[in-house]
Amino acid sequence: MSDTHAHDYHPPGLQHQFEDMKQQEESNIIGMWMFLAQEIMFFGGLFTAYLIFRSKYPMAFAAGSNHLDAFLGGLNTLVLIVSSLTMALTVYYAQKNNRNMQVIMIVLTMIFGTVFLGVKAVEYTDKYNHGLVPFATWNKKTKGEAQAKTEAPKEVKNFFASEGGKAPAGAKVEEKHDYINPTGQFQWNSQGESNELILEAQKGNFLTEDEKIGYFTNGEIDQKKFEGRVRIFFWIYFAMTGLHALHMIIGLGLMLWLLIMAWRGTYSAQYYSPVEISGLYWHFVDIVWIFLFPLLYLLGRHFIH
Amino acid sequence: MEKVLEVRDKTKTPELNYLNNGYSVASWLLTKDHKRIAMLYLASVSFFFMLGGFFAALIRLELMTPNSDLLQAASYNRVFTAHGIIMVFLFLIPAIPATIGNFFVPLMIGAKDLAFPRINLLSWYLYMAGGLVAAYALLQGGVDTGWTFYAPYSTTFSNGWVVVTGLGAFIIGFSSILTGLNFIVTIHTMRAPGMTWFRLPLFIWSHYATSLIMILGTPVIAITILLLALERIAKIGIFDPAIGGDPILFQHLFWFYSHPAVYIMILPSMGIISELIANFSRKRIFGYEFVAFSSIAIAVIGFLVWGHHLFVSGQSIYAGLVFSILTMIVAVPSAVKVFNWTATLYKGSISFDTPMLYAFSFLGLFLVGGLTGLFLGTAGMDIHLSDTYFIIAHFHYVMVGSTVIGYLGGIHYWWSKMTGKEYSEFWGKISAMLVFIGFNLTFFPQFILGYLGMPRRYASYAEELQVLNIFSTAGAGVLAIGMIMPVIYLTASLFNGKDAGDNRWHLPGLEWRTSSPPPTENFYEPPVVTWEAYDFSDENGLEPRKELTKETV
Repeated sequence: MSDTHAHDYHPPGLQHQFEDMKQQEESNIIGMWMFLAQEIMFFGGLFTAYLIFRSKYPMAFAAGSNHLDAFLGGLNTLVLIVSSLTMALTVYYAQKNNRNMQVIMIVLTMIFGTVFLGVKAVEYTDKYNHGLVPFATWNKKTKGEAQAKTEAPKEVKNFFASEGGKAPAGAKVEEKHDYINPTGQFQWNSQGESNELILEAQKGNFLTEDEKIGYFTNGEIDQKKFEGRVRIFFWIYFAMTGLHALHMIIGLGLMLWLLIMAWRGTYSAQYYSPVEISGLYWHFVDIVWIFLFPLLYLLGRHFIH
Repeated sequence: MEKVLEVRDKTKTPELNYLNNGYSVASWLLTKDHKRIAMLYLASVSFFFMLGGFFAALIRLELMTPNSDLLQAASYNRVFTAHGIIMVFLFLIPAIPATIGNFFVPLMIGAKDLAFPRINLLSWYLYMAGGLVAAYALLQGGVDTGWTFYAPYSTTFSNGWVVVTGLGAFIIGFSSILTGLNFIVTIHTMRAPGMTWFRLPLFIWSHYATSLIMILGTPVIAITILLLALERIAKIGIFDPAIGGDPILFQHLFWFYSHPAVYIMILPSMGIISELIANFSRKRIFGYEFVAFSSIAIAVIGFLVWGHHLFVSGQSIYAGLVFSILTMIVAVPSAVKVFNWTATLYKGSISFDTPMLYAFSFLGLFLVGGLTGLFLGTAGMDIHLSDTYFIIAHFHYVMVGSTVIGYLGGIHYWWSKMTGKEYSEFWGKISAMLVFIGFNLTFFPQFILGYLGMPRRYASYAEELQVLNIFSTAGAGVLAIGMIMPVIYLTASLFNGKDAGDNRWHLPGLEWRTSSPPPTENFYEPPVVTWEAYDFSDENGLEPRKELTKETV
């Protein structure tokens, strides 16, 4: 035992209202679980909205879903799962009085968290470039040439044909901006394939009641209406992943604080409840993503192909 | 502090207590003492109650005449919306938990404070911030959607301050979540030695159940308001049917919180009534475990009945059927409570002090409010009564007749503990009776009005309904006098009230075993509980109440 702190140990944060450390730790842990219960209900409202609108407009959701990059989503899932491991190891090393490994594990967790947010930023940028941000005029404003416009269907075909691995390399393709979007509106340009699919579904009587109203005007497929339904998908996508990203940022703030405290050697086998409850929070945010990934990226991916 | 204990006269106010432990503004605004935070809440909640009452007075004055003469329809909409939003979000939900609960949950379980004092203070600041945002929206012109914010009117057509008001409700929601979180943790981990779960006063059980709803329900309204604001600002297509949204989804999400929110209002009040009835009958409550678990049952089943608000909104009739049955089921635990309270009274030595008068009012009014709830929970009946004054009368019987009455009863019951002073029992009894009479005069005619078909939320009505409406307005006047009187005599008691002594009512509860007002750390020595709840047996070392022994002899 090289650290001298272990001997002149004082409970650093026994607050006046508690009798002893055990009571305080128990309170902290129950408190965090209650907070997480609250968080589950908070996200629950969005999951409900997702559930309702997916069952109302499955084809629009599948079409929107196909514009998400499942490779990047999968990569992020992996990153978060590994960050959960490093977080769990942080708690483990705190219990083992190992300051150095604690610090290393917290730094690793922070790196993984940052990578996650970075990848998310790449994905958001991709949506921005393609006119898929559903808010007002928050898309890239492009003034395409008339000649470029004729190539548009080809680009659209690219969207639907694109498989997972596209985005990192495909960033160069996006530079072309073969479509016109002078005011940066949300744009959905998918004449052709999705229309064929909708008509096919109509023939087989597979459309939901809401789709029968929501995609058609006077018996004809209404491109504007379909665009509106896809826009709902992107709203839900941005609301859910945005809220999740916000939680990741708060989590990184917590990690920074843990890092400073761990660096000072605050945590030990006797006192590690801040590490433990921050860990609970971190795992919770991971688990939310574990649900978001299949719901947003994977479900119905085969539908349009 | 121990020295003070030895020489302390238990009939006098102690020299050092939480009230005179520091007089600076900062010692109040930055306090972490749950008792001071409760007093901050008491002041702010009372302020908003009066503001909401002012709007109620405007509504009743307008409805004195069949025509919309005092207020035009557009301003009437804003007035009843302001009344609803202030009363629900700023008064009824925080009233009992954040004031009386905040003060007495730690005292009744023998703790020094809540588990998270800083979070407790934060929750008061959130409440104030939310209140100020909502008040700002009101000053700027208010909202005309009704407190329910139904889409698509609120998202698309209303030209009020929907988003700002929603932001206010959003912030207040987090204040309520933090209060609930604090209570649950405190009740789990901070009980004094010997204070087992089944020795807890029923007030604690009801607060535990309330906190469960606060934690599990409030986040849903938070996300709903967020989506509503997005829909209004950015037209996201979630609630507005014109762009593919689903207005019924809004109603589902809204009532998923707002129906359980009714239990956030009523459960703490039921806790107070359990205290009052047992203590003023000087008898252990009949069927303690049943009353305790009925609170939990209400909290759990209360989450499954929200659909009875949607019987006429286009919900499937099969869903309506299920929600109707579940509504009948949630009435059972409430009935269990009423039966047990009544059975507690049987052969008790009942004293008719002001708090007990409020408890009796509660029994009668809650009975009417609860039973008319069953009328409305019956889907077929509801189609006739939906959106009429019958609904208004029903939920005022529950929210005012039960929650506010319970709150007033609690304030009177614990006033001596909170301030160390005795209020005037004479004026207390008179005001309790005025409240009861005024309340019934105000709201009972509304059952008849509603049954005759007078719709809610209209500034004008058919002429033949005027007589009943005048009764109602007159009653509101009596009610207002009954409500203003406590403000006067309670305030007066602070200056010229007698010292109440430690145990004003000679009761066994833990909160009565410390000084009035309590010291900052609540107890002079850590309490150890060796008695059951409501133990009035002689072995428990209680001095009998003199006036009662006189009567029994």
